[in-house]
Amino acid sequence: MNFQIPIGPQHPALKEPIGLRITVDGEIIREADLRLGYNHRGIEKLAESKTWIQNIYLMERICGICSHSHTTCYVQGVEKLMEIQAPKRGLYIRTLVAELERIHSHLLWLGVAGHEAGFDSFFMYVWRDREIVMDILEIISGNRVHYAINTIGGVRRDLDELQVKNILDSLSVLRKRSEYYLNLGTTEPSFVARLAGVGYLSKEDALALCAVGPTLRASGVPMDVRKDDPYAVYDEVPFEVCTADTGDVLGRTVVRIKELFQSYNIIEYLLKNLPTGPIAVRAPRRPKSNEVVSRYEAPRGENIHYIKSNGTEKPERLKVRAPTLGNYAATIKMLKNGFIADVPLIFAAIDPCICCAERAVAIVDARTGQEKIVSTSSLKQLKQNVSPNKERKREVVWPL
Amino acid sequence: MKIGAFIPELLRHLAKKPATVDYPFKKLEVPKGFRGSPYLKPELCIVCRACERDCPAEAIEITSLSEAEKKFRMIIHNDRCVHCAQCVDSCPTGAMLIDTRFEIADYDRHNLKMQWDYIRAVVKPKSEPKSDQAKS
Repeated sequence: MNFQIPIGPQHPALKEPIGLRITVDGEIIREADLRLGYNHRGIEKLAESKTWIQNIYLMERICGICSHSHTTCYVQGVEKLMEIQAPKRGLYIRTLVAELERIHSHLLWLGVAGHEAGFDSFFMYVWRDREIVMDILEIISGNRVHYAINTIGGVRRDLDELQVKNILDSLSVLRKRSEYYLNLGTTEPSFVARLAGVGYLSKEDALALCAVGPTLRASGVPMDVRKDDPYAVYDEVPFEVCTADTGDVLGRTVVRIKELFQSYNIIEYLLKNLPTGPIAVRAPRRPKSNEVVSRYEAPRGENIHYIKSNGTEKPERLKVRAPTLGNYAATIKMLKNGFIADVPLIFAAIDPCICCAERAVAIVDARTGQEKIVSTSSLKQLKQNVSPNKERKREVVWPL
Repeated sequence: MKIGAFIPELLRHLAKKPATVDYPFKKLEVPKGFRGSPYLKPELCIVCRACERDCPAEAIEITSLSEAEKKFRMIIHNDRCVHCAQCVDSCPTGAMLIDTRFEIADYDRHNLKMQWDYIRAVVKPKSEPKSDQAKS
């Protein structure tokens, strides 16, 4: 007998508001269906009413963890539209912050993976060491979460010798700790037993369902925007694309830890070869009317911004395709034939960012299944029709 | 592979100091480039309104008090401010500055408003206002 279980958007087991309907046969998930739109904030529409400069800070606030990836993706696109080229030193600093952000995101993910697998002391230790990279970001940009380092035509903050030395010192500590975690995460038998074989995604499925980022690379596909379509200074920096061939949550953990070491190498290379010169060029107020697609390898996978300009101070259209949206189809596949208890772990393994992914809301008629566009006033009317005589409870009394 | 590989690490940390500081009594130094709240040096402001135009949160408001005396009023709505420091970057004369306070919470959002009444300064901009450059 089949049961349908609704999970989320508000659910104690989930860290983010994921709306999920699963059909179970006993303990085993037979069918899964994702519901998007709970966290929709209308950012794309808001972007159309803000100027190019104001939009940098709006894009930063799409996501708190990969804030730099959204601004860089946006700024790269706008620089292409405005036909300006950011100076070398600016691009180096931009890439440096991008890699530091990757380290911080992967360490955060590693802790969450430990927590979801029931290894909470691992979570605490990883997050303590994540503070080191947060401090580096604070030294460079002034703040911990929203670095606001990007501007159109370069970056806003320069690096001096002392900062470079501090960063290199902290990095050697981080490298030592990461080696310990790689060793621990792949040999601790209870941790490995919890992760191995969970959420299997084959290479063919990963490609067919357009998975991105570490989820794709853990299925043995060496695909990385930094290598395939180099932006900023990635064509000069030596690094490898990390893959694993197990295709399960353990593989995704290994890929992320390996990527940490690649990021340390990249940062060391960037700091040792930091060119001199200006960090930003002046940007015009208005670009020519044109359209552009900008790609960026965020910590979670490929991030795409489509920007259309009509020659005015404001963009005509700004579309954000965040990496989590690309991974949703693959997640459904991973959930099928798994256990209910694995749902949080599988979701955590794609490193979901719901506020990045929810860029659209569809109004679907529950009876006919038809989608339509409605105005706010007709939504209010609809609410009236559903419960015309019901008094709105203004002061709800807590029942206990 | 052995069970309890993490235990030596846990035991080693028993004798160590905690990783956090006792916050209200001990405070960490903010870094050099910390972005706190913006404030105005009224003697340098030439009322070019670059900050007002570039502010992503629309937190800066400049109104004219008297056209004849060239008197202006700037209000910074700190309850809307997102602390990006774009106003500091946009200002051509260095009149907008940012402080390093971080304990700025208040019980009422209206208390966060800051206001300056001043006469427009006659200062030569160090550089053209960045945003005015391509004005056509």
